[in-house]
Amino acid sequence: MNKIKYIIPIILALYFVFPLYIIVLIAFSPAKYTIETLYQPLIFKGFTLNNLIFAFTQYDFIGPFFKSLAVATLVGVLAVIIGIPAGYGLSRLPDRVAYPALVLLLITNMVPGLIVAIPISAEFIRLGLFDSIPGLAFVQELITLPLATFILRGTFSAVPREVEYQAKIDGASSLKYFMDILIPVASAGIAAAFLISWMFSWDEFTYAIILSPIHPTLPIEIYVNITRGNLLAAVAFALVFTLPVIVLTLFLQKYLRGEYLTGGVKA
Amino acid sequence: MNQNLKYFLFVIPAIAYIGVFAFFPSGEAVYYSFLNSQGQFTLSNYKELFYFNIGGTIINTIIVVSLALFLELLLGLGIAAVLTWEFRGKKAFSTLVIVPMGVATVVAAIAFSFIFQTSGGYANSFLKLIDLPTFNWYANKYISLLTVAISDSWKNTPIVALILLSGMLSIPRDLYNAAALDGAGPIRRFFYITLPNLKKFIAIALIIRGVSEFNIFALPLILIGYHPSILTTLAYDLYSTSTIYLSSAAAVILLAFISVFIAINIKLGGGNK
Repeated sequence: MNKIKYIIPIILALYFVFPLYIIVLIAFSPAKYTIETLYQPLIFKGFTLNNLIFAFTQYDFIGPFFKSLAVATLVGVLAVIIGIPAGYGLSRLPDRVAYPALVLLLITNMVPGLIVAIPISAEFIRLGLFDSIPGLAFVQELITLPLATFILRGTFSAVPREVEYQAKIDGASSLKYFMDILIPVASAGIAAAFLISWMFSWDEFTYAIILSPIHPTLPIEIYVNITRGNLLAAVAFALVFTLPVIVLTLFLQKYLRGEYLTGGVKA
Repeated sequence: MNQNLKYFLFVIPAIAYIGVFAFFPSGEAVYYSFLNSQGQFTLSNYKELFYFNIGGTIINTIIVVSLALFLELLLGLGIAAVLTWEFRGKKAFSTLVIVPMGVATVVAAIAFSFIFQTSGGYANSFLKLIDLPTFNWYANKYISLLTVAISDSWKNTPIVALILLSGMLSIPRDLYNAAALDGAGPIRRFFYITLPNLKKFIAIALIIRGVSEFNIFALPLILIGYHPSILTTLAYDLYSTSTIYLSSAAAVILLAFISVFIAINIKLGGGNK
């Protein structure tokens, strides 16, 4: 039994790390050991930086990188701006009012991306938002706004109402209470809502491919490189693209718990 | 109530936002799906979907969803169970297994496109290494769908594991101690205590993942392209090659399936508020 206690976790951990290991292996191995052979060795047989140098000098990384960065940041900012009042309101409303609103947000999170993206692409062409940074950010916000609202609702619920009453008694206006007391107290949750929104937008594919195909974001650029057969460029971009998100995921572990991911459905 | 009205005003921007960007387009998609290119009402879009094998596409979608859910549940249970044990390196383990959550779908798809190939590839290299026969991971429709499901489950198992873990931690330790005293081994304890107490959490994980599984898009697109097609890749294929009306009809069929899951979800949530 004691041996099993170590063998099973090790096998599972290896399984979950393996695909990432493959990306790293291909990115840093000479091509003759990876994409140019049929049965590739599973370990490093050589080390090179040429793949990365080639990818970043021969293919456009900067354009898609900044597009992704701009869209993700806008998504994060919008999530916080709309999510803070919504999360606050929901944390103070009685359950019978808050619950339908939460369900509504939950449903939005489940509407298929394609059914939103296809008609919106037609609207965006008409409005001049097609292929633009705000256009894509507005639509990606759909995925992240409910998530941000759930996180912020949880954060604000933890702030006792007595603090609000006390601030009122001491003569603070609602706005002053919001800016000087509530937001500083909830800053960890707000940061988490921002970063999780940022991350979802950074990784998002469906809306991005339909609404921004001409000046793509990084995931789309990677996909385009695969379809064109620039496999090493795709791998190199994928590696650089993934690193910040993995760091964020580990950093945000605490907030990526079941209750947020399940969209507030309580067991 | 006046106070509540004030709080409700705070929520309105968020609700208005999703109304504009989610419900309006969804309604529009349904509307488009009944129009022809002259803007007249028609059912021909839905009829035309049969030329694109909509029946087979629906079946493929259900196969992928079921396989992926099964794999996620199986692996998720395993990980959640391991996370309730005490062992050295547990922290490292719990960190490693959530790494896939941070990996973008498109990146996971590339990795798996190198791992699973028709001939060669890293999965076959591994099989060769341990003296097993190699395997064509796209030999037929069903194997292709299985390959997609395996790749998809890799990325999404951590979420299922976290949901199941919160369920497992809610089971009182006393139950296990009592069962152990009565002579039940770890396997019997798993089937007679853990599983029955996890029912609700399993249901939640299945429904939440079920909705997302119907929506998987980047992964099948990169691994198998449009053949065999599933609902999302068919809708996208039609969007890029045909009219917005026809692709809307395909998307509406997808919406119909997801609506079933959403309805179950609301019902489930409604019973427990």
